[in-house]
Amino acid sequence: MDRRTVLKGLAGAGGLALTGIAAPAIAQGAAARTLRFVPQANLANFDPIWGTQYVVRNAAAMVWDTLYGIDDQFVPQRQMVESEQVSDDGLTWTFKLRPGLKFHDGEPVLAKDVVASLTRWSARDPMGLMLKALQNELTAVDDKTFKWVLKQPYPKMLFALGKGNAPCAFIMPERIAQTDPFKQMSEYVGSGPFKFVKGEWVPGAKAVFEKFTDYVPRQEKPVWLAGGKQVLVDRVEWVIMPDPATAAAALQNGEVDWWENPITDLVPVLKGNKNIGVDIGDPLGNVGSFRMNHLHAPFNNVKARQAILMAMSQEDYMRALVGDDNALWKPLPGFFTPDTPLYTEAGGDILKGKRDFAAAKKLLEEAGYKGEPITCVVAQDQPITKAFGDVTADLLKKLGMTVDFVATDWGTVGARRAQKTPPSQGGWHMFHTWHAGADCINPAAYTALRANGDKAWFGWPTSEPVEKEITDWFAAKSLDEEKAVAARINKAAIDDVVFAPTGFFLGYTAWRKNVSGVTKGPIPLFWGVSKTA
Amino acid sequence: MLTYALRRVLSTLPVMAIVALFVFSLLYIAPGDPAVVIAGDQASPADVERIRANLGLDQPFLVQFGSWVWRLLHFDLGTSIFTNLPVSALIAQRIEPTLSLMMVTLVLTIIIAVPLGVIAAWKAGTWIDRIIMAFAVFGFSVPVFVVGYILAYVFALKFDWLPVQGYTPLAQGFWPWLQNLILPSVALGCVYIALIARITRAAMLEVLQQDYIRTARAKGLGQGGILFIHALKNAAVPIVTVVGIGIALLIGGAVVTESVFAIPGLGRLTIDAILRRDYPVIQGIVLLFSFVYVLVNLLIDVTYTLVDPRIRY
Repeated sequence: MDRRTVLKGLAGAGGLALTGIAAPAIAQGAAARTLRFVPQANLANFDPIWGTQYVVRNAAAMVWDTLYGIDDQFVPQRQMVESEQVSDDGLTWTFKLRPGLKFHDGEPVLAKDVVASLTRWSARDPMGLMLKALQNELTAVDDKTFKWVLKQPYPKMLFALGKGNAPCAFIMPERIAQTDPFKQMSEYVGSGPFKFVKGEWVPGAKAVFEKFTDYVPRQEKPVWLAGGKQVLVDRVEWVIMPDPATAAAALQNGEVDWWENPITDLVPVLKGNKNIGVDIGDPLGNVGSFRMNHLHAPFNNVKARQAILMAMSQEDYMRALVGDDNALWKPLPGFFTPDTPLYTEAGGDILKGKRDFAAAKKLLEEAGYKGEPITCVVAQDQPITKAFGDVTADLLKKLGMTVDFVATDWGTVGARRAQKTPPSQGGWHMFHTWHAGADCINPAAYTALRANGDKAWFGWPTSEPVEKEITDWFAAKSLDEEKAVAARINKAAIDDVVFAPTGFFLGYTAWRKNVSGVTKGPIPLFWGVSKTA
Repeated sequence: MLTYALRRVLSTLPVMAIVALFVFSLLYIAPGDPAVVIAGDQASPADVERIRANLGLDQPFLVQFGSWVWRLLHFDLGTSIFTNLPVSALIAQRIEPTLSLMMVTLVLTIIIAVPLGVIAAWKAGTWIDRIIMAFAVFGFSVPVFVVGYILAYVFALKFDWLPVQGYTPLAQGFWPWLQNLILPSVALGCVYIALIARITRAAMLEVLQQDYIRTARAKGLGQGGILFIHALKNAAVPIVTVVGIGIALLIGGAVVTESVFAIPGLGRLTIDAILRRDYPVIQGIVLLFSFVYVLVNLLIDVTYTLVDPRIRY
C-alpha cells in the first residue's frame, strides 16, 4: 500500500465519520413504531408472584392480563371475565371467561389455567391468603368456567382479583402457574397485549416487549387497568438508566421517548424543552413513612411514638424531598391516600398545627427515655429515604435524643429491619420508607397499616382497635360503611402510632411530544400510547 | 519463555482459589439478605425463610462454599438469584461492551498520552511542557463522571453529534459501535492519558540524559529518530508497566463510566449485583476480574522481553 492509498483511505474514513457525525445521533424513521421507555428501576427478574417489586408488576401488567381491572374510581371492571355469578349466601362465585382469550404461545386460555394461576397467587398475596383461608374449593367447571366456593362470604372478591397492587392476580398457562410460588419461574407466557421478548432481555439494561397481534381488547374505553387495551406501537423497549442526568439528556436528545419518573431537580430543565411534555405521573402518589420499632424502648411506649408525631413537621420532610414545588406534596394527617374515597383526617390533629417540642419532650420523659442512643437505619442510596433520614436526625437531636445514625444501602436496611433483636444487638429503632399511594387507598393491600404484632410489618405494632376495624372493613358491604370504618381505622392508627406518616408526595413523568396517549395512572400504561417519527 | 508463561498461568489457579474463598467469606458475613429483597415488602418472615431455603441460603457456610466450588470445578458459575439466568450467560451478555470500552480507551490513551509525554520531555521546562503537565493535572483531578457530563452536554445535547448513552454491538457496524464509545472512552481515558503522559515524560527525561542519546545526536540523527526510536524504546519498560496497570484499573473506572453513559457492561452488572446481594453473580465477576488481573500481569512481563532483550525468564 502506498502513501497515496493510505491518505485516500483516511480521507474516506474521515468523510464517513463526518457524515455520521453530521447526522442526528439516532435515526428516527425506523424507530417510529418503537417506544423507548425509561422505567423507575431495573427489571431484574420477571416473575410477578415470586418478586413483588413495583417495576416487575408494571412490566407484568403488559404481558399478563387479569380477570378484573380497577378503573380510576377504584372499581373492579371485567377484564378477562365475561360474567360472574355469586350465590345468594355469598359463598359460591362462578366466573365465565370471555371468548377469544389466547396465550402468547397460541394456546387458548382455559379455566384450568386460571385455577392454577389463582392458586399460586393466593399463596403469596395478602388478600389471596385470606381467600385461601376461606376456601372450600377452587375448581374448573369446564374450559371456560371456574368456581370458587368459600366457607364465609368475602365481599372484596372482585377487588382482590382486579387490584393493581403487587402481587396482582395475573393469569398464566397452567404449566407455568404450577411453579412453586416461592421459586422463580423461567417462562414468561401471558395473554396480555404485549409479548415479552426473552431473547433480547439484558437484565439491568434492556427489556423488550412486542405487540401481541392476537390480543382481543375489550370494547370499553381504557381506564387504568380496565377497559380496551389497544396497542398502537409494534414494540416497547425498556431502557434501564441508572443515572438520572443521563436519562434527562437522552430524553432531550430523542434517544428515549418516555421517562417514567424524572427526579425533581431535573424537571425544570425538561419543562424548558419545547419537545418534552411533563406532568404528574401517578395521581395516587406516595405516602412517606417514619417507621418505629414497637418492640424496644423507647418506642415500645406509645408516649414516645406520640412525641414524634407531636414534634415532626411534614413540611420539613417534603421540602427536603421535593424542594419548592408545591404541586408535588400535601400534608397528610392520616394514613389513606388523599383524594381517594376512604381518605380521612379523623384523629389526625396531632399532626397538624404548630409543632410542640416542649410537650413532645415531656412525653419522651414520661416514656422513660433517658438519652439512650436511637439507632436510625437510613438507606443513603435511595434519595427519598436519604432526605427523610437527614430530617429525622435533626428532629431527634432537637428533641434531645441521642442519634446513632447508621447510613447504609437499601439492601442492608432491607435485611436489618427484619431483625427483632434489640438495637444494641443488631436490631434497630427506626427506618424510613414510603408506600405507593395505590397501596394505601384501602386496607386491602396496606400491609404497613396492619397492627397484628408478630405478624405485622417491620416494627411489629400491636393495636387491637386497628385490627378490629380492618377486619370490619373487609366485611363492609357499601362505600359509606367503608368510609365510616376507615375513619375509625385512621383514628386508632394515629392514637397507637402504627407508624408516622411524613407526608404525601407525587412525582412527575416526562415524554417527547411526538408520543401521544400518555395518561396518569397508578402504573405506566402502554395501551393507547402512539408515536410519530 | 513458553514454560514460564505456562507456569504463570498455572500459578493463577491457587491465586484465584484464595480470591474465591475470600470473596465468598466476605459476602457471607456482609449485611444484607437477597431473600428479603426478593420477597418484597408484603412478605412475612416465613415467606422470606422459604425463599432462603429454596435458594440454599439457609445452608451452613461450608456447605454453600463446597457446593459453589464443586460447580466451579464443572465450569459452572451458578445461577443468578434474581434473574434466574446462568451467571456465565449474564457475563457473556455484558463482556463485549466492557471490552470495547476498555479497548477504545486504551487505544485512545496510547495514541494521545505517549506522544504528549515524549513532547513534554523533549520540551522540558518550556511552556509546551507546562501546558501538557497542566492538562495531566486536570485529567487526574476531575472525576470521570464530571468529564462525562460535560462531554455529553457539549457533544450530544448542544451539537447533537454523538449519542448520550447506550451501546451498539460491533456486529451492527463499525461506526455505530464506535459512535457510542467515543464520549465514554474520552471521559474514562482522561485520567489514564494524564497518568501515562506523566510516566512517559519522566522515563524519557531520564533516558534523554544518557550517553547513547548524546552519541546519537553527535552522529547527526534527527530529533524524531532520537525520540521515538532510541529514547522511547529504552523508556518503554515503565510505560508498559503503567499501561498494563491501567488496563486493570480501567475495569474499576468502567463501573462509573458505564453508569453515566448507560452502557450495559460488566461494571453495571457488578454494581447491580452488589446492591441486590446477588451472590453468584458477584462471585463470578470477581473471579473473572481476578483472572484478568493475573493475565494482564503476565502480558506485561512477557512484553518486557520484547522491548528490552536484556530481560530473560
